[in-house]
Amino acid sequence: MIPLLKNPEMNFGAITFFARQHKEDMCGSNGLPLTPNSIIIYGRAQKLKSINSPYLCQYLDIIRGKHERTVVVCQYCGIPLLNYLEKETFTLTDIKRIAYQILQGLNILHKRNIVHRNLSSENVLLQGNVIKMFNYGLYYLTDNGKLVSFPVVQLLYAAPEIYLDGIHNSLPNPAVDIWALGIILAELVLNKKLWNYLKVGQRIRKILSLLQSNTSVFERIAREHNAYDEYTNVPDELKEIIESCLNIDPTKRPTCEDLLKKSIFNEFLIQNGYINNDVKKFETFAISELYHWWQLAGGDVLQELKKQGLIRSSPPILSLPHLVLIEGNILGQERNPATLYDPRIVEMPLDALYQRFENISFSAFYPLIQIKSKIISQSEPQSYDATGLPLIIKERDPEYQFHRIILFRRLLHGYPFTKDLIRKEAEKDIPPLLRGEIWAALLDVKSDYKYRYMKLDKYTLTPTDRQIEVDIPRCHQYNELLSSSEGHKKLKRILKAWVFKNSHYVYWQGLDSLTAPFLYLNFNDEAKAFACLSAFVPKFLHKFFLKDNSAVIEEYLAKFSQLIAFHDPVLANHLYEINFYPQLFAIPWFLTLFSHVFPLHKILHLWDKVLLGNSSFSLHIGLSVLTQLRERLLSSGFNECILLFSDLPEVDIEKCVTLSTETFKVTPISITEREHENDEFRTKDEYDISGVTLHDLKQERYPRISARDVIELIRTNPDKILVIDIRNLIQYNRCSVINSISIPFSSISFTENKIENVGNNSTQLESTKDKVVVVIGDEETDLELFPTFLLRCNVKKVCVLHGGFNVLLPVSPTVLVSQNNIG
Amino acid sequence: MATNRTGTAQRPNGATQGKICQFKLVLLGESAVGKSSLVLRFVKGQFHEYQESTIGAAFLTQTICLDDTTVKFEIWDTAGQERYHSLAPMYYRGAQAAIVVYDITNQDTFGRAKTWVKELQRQASPTIVIALAGNKQDLANKRMVEYEEAQTYADENGLLFMETSAKTAMNVNDIFLAIAKKLPKNEQTTGQGGSAQGRRLAEGDAGAKTAGNCCK
Ligand SMILES: Nc1nc2c(ncn2[C@@H]2O[C@H](COP(=O)(O)OP(=O)(O)OP(=O)(O)O)[C@@H](O)[C@H]2O)c(=O)[nH]1
Ligand SMILES: [Mg+2]
Repeated sequence: MIPLLKNPEMNFGAITFFARQHKEDMCGSNGLPLTPNSIIIYGRAQKLKSINSPYLCQYLDIIRGKHERTVVVCQYCGIPLLNYLEKETFTLTDIKRIAYQILQGLNILHKRNIVHRNLSSENVLLQGNVIKMFNYGLYYLTDNGKLVSFPVVQLLYAAPEIYLDGIHNSLPNPAVDIWALGIILAELVLNKKLWNYLKVGQRIRKILSLLQSNTSVFERIAREHNAYDEYTNVPDELKEIIESCLNIDPTKRPTCEDLLKKSIFNEFLIQNGYINNDVKKFETFAISELYHWWQLAGGDVLQELKKQGLIRSSPPILSLPHLVLIEGNILGQERNPATLYDPRIVEMPLDALYQRFENISFSAFYPLIQIKSKIISQSEPQSYDATGLPLIIKERDPEYQFHRIILFRRLLHGYPFTKDLIRKEAEKDIPPLLRGEIWAALLDVKSDYKYRYMKLDKYTLTPTDRQIEVDIPRCHQYNELLSSSEGHKKLKRILKAWVFKNSHYVYWQGLDSLTAPFLYLNFNDEAKAFACLSAFVPKFLHKFFLKDNSAVIEEYLAKFSQLIAFHDPVLANHLYEINFYPQLFAIPWFLTLFSHVFPLHKILHLWDKVLLGNSSFSLHIGLSVLTQLRERLLSSGFNECILLFSDLPEVDIEKCVTLSTETFKVTPISITEREHENDEFRTKDEYDISGVTLHDLKQERYPRISARDVIELIRTNPDKILVIDIRNLIQYNRCSVINSISIPFSSISFTENKIENVGNNSTQLESTKDKVVVVIGDEETDLELFPTFLLRCNVKKVCVLHGGFNVLLPVSPTVLVSQNNIG
Repeated sequence: MATNRTGTAQRPNGATQGKICQFKLVLLGESAVGKSSLVLRFVKGQFHEYQESTIGAAFLTQTICLDDTTVKFEIWDTAGQERYHSLAPMYYRGAQAAIVVYDITNQDTFGRAKTWVKELQRQASPTIVIALAGNKQDLANKRMVEYEEAQTYADENGLLFMETSAKTAMNVNDIFLAIAKKLPKNEQTTGQGGSAQGRRLAEGDAGAKTAGNCCK
């Protein structure tokens, strides 16, 4: 329904500038190239995106173009105050309200140590009764102007000290914003565009001349603009405020908080619903989501800038250097300084999106999340069906993402009460825009996570620091966020906090990669990234980061070998014969749950599923990787195989997800269950596997299965199980598992890998048709030779009942019969 | 340069004699000294600023020609973090050569290199050829380990020694070449049988021999 989308606040525009370019040959102290300034800007911009206020245009995106071009996408709605000056009259209430709203906005910035410094009546936008400040982040983004070669300043609104200190090297001081506010208020009450007739140089001189003034600055301004009458008419209290803002001495100017306490603003205080920012109002959707849909529907900021002439491409020949010295110095590539910053704002057209969403019904904005009555679900329009489409397509489909985001937004708003629903929906797919929040919900992150993180020590020096410091600059650095200096700082703090909190664990190389996806998704919420990591490790990597983790890893790898044997005996036999065991290649896979192996975009899709599974899922992913490389592995010897993994070829992640989900579903739980699993997430009794030593485990090439799983299969899925009883015939006849077949152990010759050797029952074993083949014996039978033999004969899904036949005796209702009775 | 990236492929047709030798080489040293970078430079001629850290170990091979012999290196690049130490024996067991790497801008990494040398002298094969590489030579203006100090240490312990730079490629091929020269090139060159590692190597060897036949 368009009216909801066509909300006048839901508009955005873009500005563009160039970051300062490093000299070709400049290196950091470590000998490596310096981080490009546009990347530093990109990292800093993330903080701006998290600022949310009715008086500040919402920052939406930063796009890096060629040659350090930076494009800032930001909400843009309303008309600049400047356009009203000398045309309309403002009432006193109007002016007070504007002052109040600017102060509220500035206060939010100043509290976050952000100085606007770019404030002018041109970037205060008025819409109805509300102003929004625009482009307030430029000075912060550019690290107080250091990362760009043009001055970040509004000539007329710049406080005198800015000129005195030099435009490039002043420290951020919020008092300059107060001065600018003073100028804006002077403009409003006098209703004049100040010094409009002067040239740039003259304007600066004008401002500097104010320094010598011994009367009030405001009064002088009024006199210079022939507006002394207007000046005298300004009510005292407002005049006082303007004069205090325009104090030449920055230290004497009031702060936002001081000014907000003034009684003339009392009338606005009461109706202000936004003072308490902690309680978030529920919005059906946010402008950031609209921007996302706009992009999916084909919106392209760079393209728009090109259309409007803000980005012009020049023929490549013009960008060649004029002269290159033998030492490598390049001359003649300087950019024309006038093109470094373009003050124009390009508003982005939304028509294409409106058109695309034309048919979305009003009710689609308010999806019902609880169980619907039949009547309602019948009268509901057919939901947008994309279930069959590949993930990549779904993620790029604007309508589909619209429905998913609207739905998840509601569910997340109801978290933790909607936990189960979130999980259910996440099983379908996860909209990328809300992934960070959805993951946090799937990981049960508690609402006090910020407080918990705050309490942790992230700064005390520790012996681990060196390792963390050398790892961070090597961790997913192709990603703009993670390679930015902000990203480095955040990652370091999170890792240090984690090591501090988990004193029973230590920092293993790889923990950096494991943290990266969480930081990437919660870049503006470091505490949440930490909380996700903290919830993730016990759930999926319990004990992996113990100082001595060898038993844990060895067990995991042994289970991995067994899982390969279970599903793919041919491959398992080949790898066994060439001595290619998982220790050699799979440690980084499992220790980091593939986060050290795959690039971020792949990890995200993989972990979407990991979070829904248990700590064994990773083994299935490992299997799916092998399956994709199966043909090459089968035709290779040891060296080729190991080379393959040192330089892992392209792996199709969606295939990995499908394959591992498939094997995960058809593998009885106990096949991959481990001693070192976190007991918090399971209960055990005599029908489960326990007490297998690591030594035994490593000897066994096939997995064990628990009595629990066998009973479950017999009862609920009898055609998915084939029980082979290898005890002697007398025992078998006296009492055995329903529908089991008897292949007495002593009757077989194991010298050859020929399934025919088992006799009559060999045909059953030749085509087990996906049945789980459970070998049951007792103390007297050798429980190694026979299953190994089956494995060598390439029989799939072979496993051995843990505990032998006798564990089944007490089971009630029984799963046993006596063949004698059947007779 | 005697290094031949594509190994036997560049030999003139059939006109070759000489033999193929295969050696297992392991890289050891503190984390971030540039082990992986050295291998990458040697094997692929590349340098990645943001080389990923190594977990467990990585395996690569490279073949070089030395007079009439083709030397194939099977290179194990290990993880530098102290915690991964327990895995190291798995890789240096049966190795015929080792490069112990330190970072010339960091004194601690030199200390760690000495510990590795000691461990190799005690635990690895007695005939192992050890080279010491002072890496990041391009950062000589930030040098914390003097050339002479390292040279003296290397002489005392009978190690090959070079300062290298994976970034500029300086001495990278050279150090591998120097090792190749020092290794015994009799027919029976692969590791001591018996251990699991030895068996594996013997397996790998089988593959290499077929390749060797066409050159003989
Ligand atoms: N300036 C300079 N930097 C280097 C050189 N060699 C490696 N580096 C850098 O040093 C860092 C560490 O290099 P790696 O090759 O990952 O070190 P490593 O020894 O394999 O480290 P681990 O895998 O953690 O054991 C990387 O950022 C490299 O780019 C060099 O010769 N000169
Ligand atoms: Mg490495």
